[in-house]
Amino acid sequence: MDEKKHTSSHYEKELQEIKDGLIYLGALTEKAIQDAMKSLSNRDSELAKKVIGADDEIDRLDSDIEERCIKILALRQPTAIDLRFITTAIKITGHLERIGDMAVNISEKAMQLNEAPQLKPYIDLPRMTDLVGQMIKDSLDSFIRADLKLAEKVRRMEQEIDDLNEQIFRELLTFMMEDSKSIHRALLIMQISKNMERIADHAKGVADMVTYMVTGECVRHRTCAIED
Amino acid sequence: MEGNMIIDLKKVNFYYGQVRALTNISMKFRKNKVTALIGPSGCGKSTLLRLLNRMNDLIDGTRVEGEILYEDQNIYGPDVDPVEIRRKIGMVFQKPNPFPKTIYNNISYGPKLTGVRVDDMNALVEQSLRQAVLWDEVKDILNQSAMNLSGGQQQRLCIARALAMKPDILLMDEPTSALDPISTAKIEELIEELKKDYTIIIVTHNMQQAARISDETAFFYLGNLIEYNKTEKIFTKPDVKQTEDYITGRFG
Repeated sequence: MDEKKHTSSHYEKELQEIKDGLIYLGALTEKAIQDAMKSLSNRDSELAKKVIGADDEIDRLDSDIEERCIKILALRQPTAIDLRFITTAIKITGHLERIGDMAVNISEKAMQLNEAPQLKPYIDLPRMTDLVGQMIKDSLDSFIRADLKLAEKVRRMEQEIDDLNEQIFRELLTFMMEDSKSIHRALLIMQISKNMERIADHAKGVADMVTYMVTGECVRHRTCAIED
Repeated sequence: MEGNMIIDLKKVNFYYGQVRALTNISMKFRKNKVTALIGPSGCGKSTLLRLLNRMNDLIDGTRVEGEILYEDQNIYGPDVDPVEIRRKIGMVFQKPNPFPKTIYNNISYGPKLTGVRVDDMNALVEQSLRQAVLWDEVKDILNQSAMNLSGGQQQRLCIARALAMKPDILLMDEPTSALDPISTAKIEELIEELKKDYTIIIVTHNMQQAARISDETAFFYLGNLIEYNKTEKIFTKPDVKQTEDYITGRFG
């Protein structure tokens, strides 16, 4: 954000560290969901295990960022934009940590699916993954640049993910109706799709907080507030 | 900001000699509210506070332009008695300044001097000290010197002394800057209580104090009123960038 610097350079540094931490955490979660998806489409359970193992680092970073934010609340008593930044950062780190958990869920399901013959070619799920990855990236960019329009774009993308999730659900339903032996695998894929949809919710949550940070208005429970 | 107005400033300019300390200030203070005046040193906030009960009259070479209406009367009008204004608009200063007299006489001195008819001075002293939440601490030592009290007690005594004059408005100029955190908390608690009966206007350098106790906050810079808004708004999402820069410490 185009802000004047604080008189206290230490304070300035503390805020910057939180920002940097969130960018790094965002990059880790983005990689986690990409890898989780790859472990499914490439039938690579070793990669799935790596995603599950890497979640500890995501959890650690989340706690670290939260602690830093709480410390600033206690010691600096931030106001106005600083207060909005800190409350936003606390929420964003929570959203990113949950996205990490979703990547773990997806990896666990992928490992189970990799044990059985592939039910169908994975086409929509990788598409969903790319879209969701973009949402995370855009939501964090909107945070760093205080970019309301980009935050709004993320909010709009969520609908696309919902539609894809529904489409996958309907398709899998036909598989299950045709062949009861497919039910278990179909359910696992449905859960993966549902996890992707929830990741999109979290990315939207990040975008909502960015809007709060910039405007001071809570849009969490409102649909598209700002027009292009 | 809705509510009954008690003071209305209309295009007020104020000069110390040739130097203009306040520029074209128009603002209204609401009755039974706490209004905080904030801003860096030299921004004019204390000057404005002192204008409200004509304390600046005591400084040579000062000049006021515009109108300050208190209950629809210009307090700088030709027929207005500044002493009467100061009775209705009391003041508490940065450093506790009790008279070198007994606790009792500190309270009774003003009412006696201004000829206020007090049927029962004892009752007035007790009432004033109770309002200032000091009664329980001093009721057995009313005839001891006020100078023996702690700083926090002395400041509450000064508030009691101001209240004994039955004012409408209390002006406070950094009333806790010389006090420890506990005494500060007591004064802040007291301010919350007092606003039921009085209008309070407070100058403070402690931004968190303004945030904690005031309903409205006015931010001044270089003699100009930059933003006047609900305190909650000022400290979460001020309308003016300059205000935001100041309260977040991005100034100078």
